[in-house]
Amino acid sequence: MALENVKINALKGTIKYSGRTYVYISSNRKLKMESLSKFDGIVIDGKSIEFVRMVMRKIRGNNNPDLYLKPIFSMNGNAHADPLIAQLIDGKLSSFDQIPLVHDTTESINKLKNELKFINSISFEAQVISKLMGYMYTRSLKELEPIPYANSNTHYSFPFLAYNYEEQDEYQIFDLLQIAVDEGLMTAKYFDRVYLCTSCKSSHLSYREACNKCNSTNTNSFDIIHHFPCAYVGPITDFTNDLDDKLNCPKCSKALKHIGIDYDKPSVLHVCKNCNHRFQDFVVLAKCMSCRLDNPVEQLVSREVYSYTLTKKGEDIALRGYSSTPKDIEEIIGTVKFDTYRTVVKYEIERIRQTEGSSNIVAIHIVNAGQFYAKVGSNGQQAFLRDIVGEIRASIRSSDMITFHSSEMILITMNDIPNKIANRIVIDILNLLRKLIDTNFKDLSLEITGTAYQLNLESSSELQINDLINSFK
Amino acid sequence: MNNVADFFEYIQSMGYHRFIRIFWFFVFFELIRYVIVDFISLNSAMLKKFLNRKNRQEATYRMLLEQPLVSIIIPGKNEGKHIYKLVMSLREQTYQNIEIIVVDDGSDDDTPFIGRDMEKNGFIDKFIRNEFRGGKASAANLALRFSTGKYVIHMDADCSYNRDAVFEIIVPFYENDNIGAIGGNVMVKNYRDSLATTLQAVEYYDSISIGRIVSSHLGIYRVISGAFGAFKMEAIQKIQGWDIGPGLDGDITVKIRKIGYLIKFAPDAVCLTNAPNTFQKLAKQRLRWDKSLIRFRLRKHKDVFFPNKHFSLVSFISFAENIFYNLILNIKWYVYFIDMIFNFPSEIKFVIVTNIMLYATVNYFKFLLFSLYRRYKNAPVSYFLVYIPLMVIYFGYFLRIIRSIAYIQEFFFKKSYDDPWNPPKSSAHAKKLGI
Repeated sequence: MALENVKINALKGTIKYSGRTYVYISSNRKLKMESLSKFDGIVIDGKSIEFVRMVMRKIRGNNNPDLYLKPIFSMNGNAHADPLIAQLIDGKLSSFDQIPLVHDTTESINKLKNELKFINSISFEAQVISKLMGYMYTRSLKELEPIPYANSNTHYSFPFLAYNYEEQDEYQIFDLLQIAVDEGLMTAKYFDRVYLCTSCKSSHLSYREACNKCNSTNTNSFDIIHHFPCAYVGPITDFTNDLDDKLNCPKCSKALKHIGIDYDKPSVLHVCKNCNHRFQDFVVLAKCMSCRLDNPVEQLVSREVYSYTLTKKGEDIALRGYSSTPKDIEEIIGTVKFDTYRTVVKYEIERIRQTEGSSNIVAIHIVNAGQFYAKVGSNGQQAFLRDIVGEIRASIRSSDMITFHSSEMILITMNDIPNKIANRIVIDILNLLRKLIDTNFKDLSLEITGTAYQLNLESSSELQINDLINSFK
Repeated sequence: MNNVADFFEYIQSMGYHRFIRIFWFFVFFELIRYVIVDFISLNSAMLKKFLNRKNRQEATYRMLLEQPLVSIIIPGKNEGKHIYKLVMSLREQTYQNIEIIVVDDGSDDDTPFIGRDMEKNGFIDKFIRNEFRGGKASAANLALRFSTGKYVIHMDADCSYNRDAVFEIIVPFYENDNIGAIGGNVMVKNYRDSLATTLQAVEYYDSISIGRIVSSHLGIYRVISGAFGAFKMEAIQKIQGWDIGPGLDGDITVKIRKIGYLIKFAPDAVCLTNAPNTFQKLAKQRLRWDKSLIRFRLRKHKDVFFPNKHFSLVSFISFAENIFYNLILNIKWYVYFIDMIFNFPSEIKFVIVTNIMLYATVNYFKFLLFSLYRRYKNAPVSYFLVYIPLMVIYFGYFLRIIRSIAYIQEFFFKKSYDDPWNPPKSSAHAKKLGI
């Protein structure tokens, strides 16, 4: 392979080959996510597994298709020893001059990506399913297999999906994939079963036998001996003495001779050293190593783990985009559909052209919406969106419209007011929403930003809406 | 008609001396022991009970004040289907400071699952399982090992108990500190099932229930029924629990008496049991019971008859009465029968009929008279009246023949050691040791 075809810019950390530009990421360089989307591929320094894992999570977990579908290659190190990383990198390099070796892969992924249509969805689940379909399509993957993975909270990780959920919320992937199966996008085949903590749904469980009275694991066990000639029954300690190893019956003083002939051991006795309780059957407890809860095993949450195969419908969905799931929010009162919003903005531009007025379009961006929805689930998401729409509706005029561009982006019209006032209203809305979040979702941190964009007469409504949305990426 | 006329003529022509000569067995043994002695003792017992009423009241107060923990042990094999009902009846008990310990002696049905479930749900305090069957004695001993009560009650899983049964069987311990064990009053629950169960119900009513009031009063009460028996923990621990059966109920009663404790019967502590519902099953049960007289009275505990440092007159009388009325009279009955055949061959049919009439009359008399002494009746007295004449056959022939077979089998062939009621691994050792 000719090294002269590969042009390295050490300062910028870029590698050019055959008209394509790759960016090199290492732990020494500051990671600017927004800048990564413009490159054709990413090369990660693979020396630190932790670093690679962090970068992969940021990229594959991002909601921008230009990022999460980006070809990623690891260079040097042994990052690919991590089974999850191994599944999610598109190739391995030992030096930059090997870039030509992965060039075809980069081309293929980017070409297939260009065939995809991306539809924004209010539904977090639909968004993640859509991302997964897109990822599988661009990598020509038909199968999605769970990987036994010690770092996973459920002990089985699904490539790509794992990086779209926080570790402690991974169990929700089972539900997500079930939606895909119910929708006919995938077929499922039984793979294994996992047991999860009743509290935090972690499968990091330590199984122990414990006293059935006080749950202590500090116990002693003794054989119970039945001496046939006199029917004496008692623990072996009744028969032992301090002088020799002989066993003598405390009832008839006879020496025990031959198991099965003059005595047997019909059962076992356990004695709890904590509460002195004597019992025969341990209770089996599963201690959750994540939240420390001692679960009785029979109460553990049992989940079936499947491997999945993409269906024809699933492939079509990857190409066409996937906007909603049956679990989605049907309709949030006080909002209009995104298409209606676009039409209204288009006509508003025409109106102000004649009236010379000042109208605005506003975007409210929930920055870490993915993580938040993954935690609260569909019902929580629905309740949350209803609440914030209610707050926004109370702060704007009834003639203004609200729509969802995606589950993380809310668009509003603010007609006939100067941009300065619109921005002030946006600040008020943001303050109200932060207060609402602080009150209702104390344990969850949610970042929320927003801005008002004054409509101009020069560009199209479509372009202006896109500019507004892109200003948050 | 001629026969009836002949019979009445035969009776009328019989003088006093001739009556005694022909019906000596009835007059000297059956009438005296089971009617006159029973009647006198019964009245004496009732009088004693009346005179003792203040002591009884104080005992009740002491017990209620102390609220002793009572361990109820229920050993058995494949008894899962009965345990739930039994435990439900125990939850109805008026005395509730109890712990229930169930031992599953190597069941091969659903008993382990039922037992574990009941333990888990708090219906019983302990469920202990032996993977290998060790026999009733070892199962009871294992339960004893886990018992923490001041008193232990042994119950059978297929029985049910009056609401105040636990209370009634424990109170007598507070009447006399020297009481080591108390037997409950076992009655037949399924008395309507068949003729066999009906006749057994009458037997339990009269011979067993009344008989035990009398023998308890006389201090010679012999068998604390395994279906319902209470033991002072210190007494049962001294004798280190039960020895190998069959017949372990009588054996443990003897052992406790031997170490100086009194044994009492609590007629108001009522237990209902399911009696064998066919004569075949009944015969099997009685063969087992009757063999134990030879095995335990004549063999294992023969030392009761010899004057030694542990000699007890009460034990001696108890044994002697038992052996005389069961073993010797059983033999004597055959002597009587032969006497009649050889000495009164021409009158034999009238002798048999007269005997049946005498016994039936006495049975009616006893049944009705003794009914007045019974506080608790689980069946109407009138139900049994029609069956009383059959008791003559039941007692006089059926049980007597069974008893004879049992004695021969045990005396000459030690057949009790082959009884599958006990696992062979244990019986082999008992046989070898002669216990």
